Amino acid sequence: MTLKDTYDAIIIGAGHNGLTLGAYLARSGLDVIVLERRHEEGGGLCSEEVTRAGFVHNMHANYHTFVDMAPPVADLDVRGHGIEYVRPEVQMASIFDDGSALTIHTDMEKTLASMSRFNEEDAATFERLYGEAHGFVDLLLGTLMYQPPLNVKELTKALATFGVEDRSEFLSVKLRRETINQFLDRHFKDDRIKAHLAFHGAVCAYTNDVPGLAIGYPLLVGKIDNWHICLGGSHRLAHALWRDLAQHGGVMWSDAEVTNIVVDGNRAVGVRLADGIELHARKLVASTVSVEQTFLEFVDPGDIPEEFAHDVKTKVVHKDWSLFSVHLAMSAFPEYVAAEFDPDVNRAWVVNLGIDSPAKLNRDWAEIRAGRLVDPQPNAAVNSLYDPTDAPPGFATGLLRQFAPFALADGGEGAWDDMGRWYGQKCIDTWRRYAPNLTDDAIVEWSVFTPHDIARKLPNMVRGDWMMGEISLANMLDTRPLPELGQYRTPVEGLYMAGSTQHPHGFITFGPGYNALQVIAEDLDIEKWWQQI
Amino acid sequence: MQTTYDAIIIGAGHNGLCLAAYLARAGLKTAIVERRHEEGGGANTEDPVVPGFRFNLHANYMEFFDIMPMIKDFDLENCGLRSITPENQAGIAFSDGRPPIVLHRKDLLDKTHASISRYSKADADTYVEIQKRTKDFGPLLAFGMYSLPFDGMAEGQAMLLEQMYGDWGITAKDAIKTPKVMIDELYESPEMRTLMYRVSVEFGVGVDTAGFASMILLAVPWMVGCWRLAKGGTHTLAKAMSQACYAHGVDLIENTEVDRIIVEDGRAVGVVARGTEFRATKCVATNADPKQTLIEQVGEEHLPANWVRRAKNFRFGPSHVLATPMFCLYDAPDYKSARWDPDINKTHYTVVGYDGPEDCIRYIRDAYSGIVPQPAAGTWVNSLWDPSQAPPGRHAATGWYFFPSASELSTEEWEEVRETYNDRFLDRWAQFAPNMTRDNVIADELYTPDQMERKNYMWEGDFSNGEMALDQMFANRPWPEAATYRLGVDGLYLCGPSAYPGGGMHAAPGYNAYKAIAEDLDLPSPVVTERGY
Amino acid sequence: MPDVYTTPWYEAVKEAINNAVAELPNAPTDSFTIQAEIVGDGASPYVSDGDTLRFLIRLEGGQCAWYREIDADDPSVKLDYRFTGPATVFDEIAAAAQDPIDAALSGAIKVRGDMRFLMRQAEMVQVLLDAYSKRVDTTWPNGRPPYNGVG
Repeated sequence: MTLKDTYDAIIIGAGHNGLTLGAYLARSGLDVIVLERRHEEGGGLCSEEVTRAGFVHNMHANYHTFVDMAPPVADLDVRGHGIEYVRPEVQMASIFDDGSALTIHTDMEKTLASMSRFNEEDAATFERLYGEAHGFVDLLLGTLMYQPPLNVKELTKALATFGVEDRSEFLSVKLRRETINQFLDRHFKDDRIKAHLAFHGAVCAYTNDVPGLAIGYPLLVGKIDNWHICLGGSHRLAHALWRDLAQHGGVMWSDAEVTNIVVDGNRAVGVRLADGIELHARKLVASTVSVEQTFLEFVDPGDIPEEFAHDVKTKVVHKDWSLFSVHLAMSAFPEYVAAEFDPDVNRAWVVNLGIDSPAKLNRDWAEIRAGRLVDPQPNAAVNSLYDPTDAPPGFATGLLRQFAPFALADGGEGAWDDMGRWYGQKCIDTWRRYAPNLTDDAIVEWSVFTPHDIARKLPNMVRGDWMMGEISLANMLDTRPLPELGQYRTPVEGLYMAGSTQHPHGFITFGPGYNALQVIAEDLDIEKWWQQI
Repeated sequence: MQTTYDAIIIGAGHNGLCLAAYLARAGLKTAIVERRHEEGGGANTEDPVVPGFRFNLHANYMEFFDIMPMIKDFDLENCGLRSITPENQAGIAFSDGRPPIVLHRKDLLDKTHASISRYSKADADTYVEIQKRTKDFGPLLAFGMYSLPFDGMAEGQAMLLEQMYGDWGITAKDAIKTPKVMIDELYESPEMRTLMYRVSVEFGVGVDTAGFASMILLAVPWMVGCWRLAKGGTHTLAKAMSQACYAHGVDLIENTEVDRIIVEDGRAVGVVARGTEFRATKCVATNADPKQTLIEQVGEEHLPANWVRRAKNFRFGPSHVLATPMFCLYDAPDYKSARWDPDINKTHYTVVGYDGPEDCIRYIRDAYSGIVPQPAAGTWVNSLWDPSQAPPGRHAATGWYFFPSASELSTEEWEEVRETYNDRFLDRWAQFAPNMTRDNVIADELYTPDQMERKNYMWEGDFSNGEMALDQMFANRPWPEAATYRLGVDGLYLCGPSAYPGGGMHAAPGYNAYKAIAEDLDLPSPVVTERGY
Repeated sequence: MPDVYTTPWYEAVKEAINNAVAELPNAPTDSFTIQAEIVGDGASPYVSDGDTLRFLIRLEGGQCAWYREIDADDPSVKLDYRFTGPATVFDEIAAAAQDPIDAALSGAIKVRGDMRFLMRQAEMVQVLLDAYSKRVDTTWPNGRPPYNGVG
């Protein structure tokens, strides 16, 4: 056999964006290869038995919030590949230190009943906000997520022309200067309700104290009850996408580390792998990894304008906080003290522990940005409540997530290796305060996954940046990650950016891959069979 | 999701993938139903300790790549499979700094001779002569492996022994001996004996098991010398095989444990898995062991009484029960013995922990009799050959400890072993390689037989999923009536390591099961004339 | 004074649109095809419950090139946009009793197609919708929306 060394399209990185783009292109008749550095495809879609055999833990992506909103789910027949999504009835909860608890359900009546126990007026406001947001969520998705981005001026002008401000209680042009905190303060009264809503923003990477992010908040509320578990672990989705690619003639190689993008006359014509193999691209090379890897490591400095290289070095902005995770194998499900107040907390998929006010979150952000660890108030997700396949019968997996700095002020990111276990124990201790049945006997094994681990496992998540680029107004839409790259094209012809560095952002949105596809289809004159209007 | 197929295969181990690929190529719509979230079974690579340090938890070395039909038949190279054949294949180091023995690749027999000659010129002559006589053994071995077993195979092997080594006075009658006795007769130096004991048991050949003497003169020496490692980790083999399956339209349904095999009118017509009925119009095949398959999934009522008796008494362990340590290292081991021969520091497989044959024999016998042995291991530092298996400049070291069968120790005892045994082994390792102190270890974990049972249903932690003893080998595997892969119920086949020729990364049970099915269903033969099998 | 969803009414809509866009200083030159799907909801007397009234409109440079009613999706026509909603909502829009932008924002009418163009051409879209909603003097033989108890 001889090594086939020429493909129409070479895609770097087999995360969900790379596989999605690859599958669409393969279905369009292109000869596609997707190259993955790790031994496993999926990128952030990685599920591993890090505690004990039989316990499947989602190391990165756990929440699938764009199910049935993202076009690829239908276009690539994700469910036909065996993917089962479960939408937990009790989606989320916040437990407060006064013993009360707020629960978010798929049944809005129940959510409103829960909120009413805190503040009836707020519940009514939330009903209107949700109603409004849910109404335009489709439009927003079509306008903002699953299209190459407009620029913010175009968007603002259109909103003004349509008079959205007068029509909407919540949408307004001035949101682009406001924080989520300000938005919440304007509309809501109860601190605990505001705390939960602010927390909800933060787990979506929309930090509640960052100016401008209020503009994205209504969209988050519109899908606040659309959180899904991918049964059997998020990695299954990676398998499904790979299968779709391969069943349509594409190929994915694992352990295929790209070291160079080969450029000939300002055109990307191939890649070189760490083991010396050179692959040629007839039509395109798409990178789904970081901007830094793509343009500072893979592309020869002589192949890009100096000014652009300078921008890559100095203007790419990463998230200023990361995630610290504890993965647990457990022989019991948490029984919260707060169940006395609201029994549904014991069935809540994701539970936010003890964040009583946005102010508490704000104080944490200040500490975290200064590189210090806060007294942990993690959120706890127990997938096994709704997934019978991720743990042996009678057992459960648990995931504690705590907002945390990437580099510690004292010792940098390397210090995590010594601190991880200690901080993990503190997170568990916190959980135990709210769910006293989670004694040592109920915990079979646990292991930590620190911000440093994120960067080590997935170097495309530079500095543990799980969104692959800061979420801020300046880093949104067509200026994400840099104005030069905002439309998925790059200064090198035939080289595209198609990963989470691009609009819309990280998370399992399928957006960057799908949107890059639109641009590539236009450039290569590929018929957009997937656009069934 | 589709639920009716021509063929349903239980288990996506490498044998299941192999069978699926051939069935799909023959035009059968084929699905694999896999209990875990990941394909590959024992072809498994993970980085659970510190991200970026990859470990093969089960299969580690690949000696059959040159003869394995699927690699060529499905062009696995272009599905991403690449491999490395280390120059220095197997070696042993000593704690007192005596010279090591290093066995080299088949093209470097002079070096091998020189290495063994440090202890015994006679041993060197013997080993090198055996290497020469078995050099072209591959096709013959392959013909035997990739054929349905037939009566008289053991006798045939004995006659071959006489044919090949009659001039040494070796006759067919010698075949009944144990490996230990044969090794003792062939080699005089304690060092060479120690190495050969250990090398032979790695393959699951009990050192004291009568009837396996010919292994020492035929298969084992052929295998040592063509050991490869799959680039990126053993799992990349499974990835490439899956890729080939997908390209032929195979579906893989993960996280779906089969509860029951549906038998109607004496014929296997499908499976019930996690509440869903999958129908198979032509055949059902399983990678699982025959005991679980027939007793738990088919049901005794569908079987003749003697099949029930046979199935219930199919044995697992103790001769191939292993534990896999995972060490994330700053530096690779630097052996005292390296001052004689630096090659020992860059040997694919290095035996550590025995200073003489007694140490090794006691170790093996302890393990076989339910005692956790004094620490020793066969070790691999794959990152020496394949840098992608560890972060830059770092090393991932693994190995195999022979351990008691899973059921010999209680849960608490295994817990204790997991917590202490790596430390004990490190203490021993440092006596052989002084840099192997705790300070050189970034982190470590131990994967034990009880975990292996849980992860892969390799009962008792038996790597071959069924003891390799003469009464369970050749045409007796798993038992005489079931030796042709047909499992007593029409349309039901065995395709995993419990069938002939057993465990190992050769996919022979899968290939042979296809041959059996092809005979029954009148599908094309997979035999390639010039290959002969 | 054409009856709603009749040929004279379509003609009136066409004329209204053409006149309105002609007044625009920077009318776009793009061409696109829209399919409207008006789903009978039991309240509108103009589309039976369960039935769907479909019509295509082809705009070229802001002018209506052609339109036609269809019984089912026409695979030979490549759509740029599809508007789908309950008949009551469509009726109310045609009667200027509901604002079309509100209907889209509230999700009452689902819009499929390239939103970027609609956003970039917001002025023209607004003019088109106004023309449809307000510039046609529609008659309602079976009753004028809003209907009792609905909307």
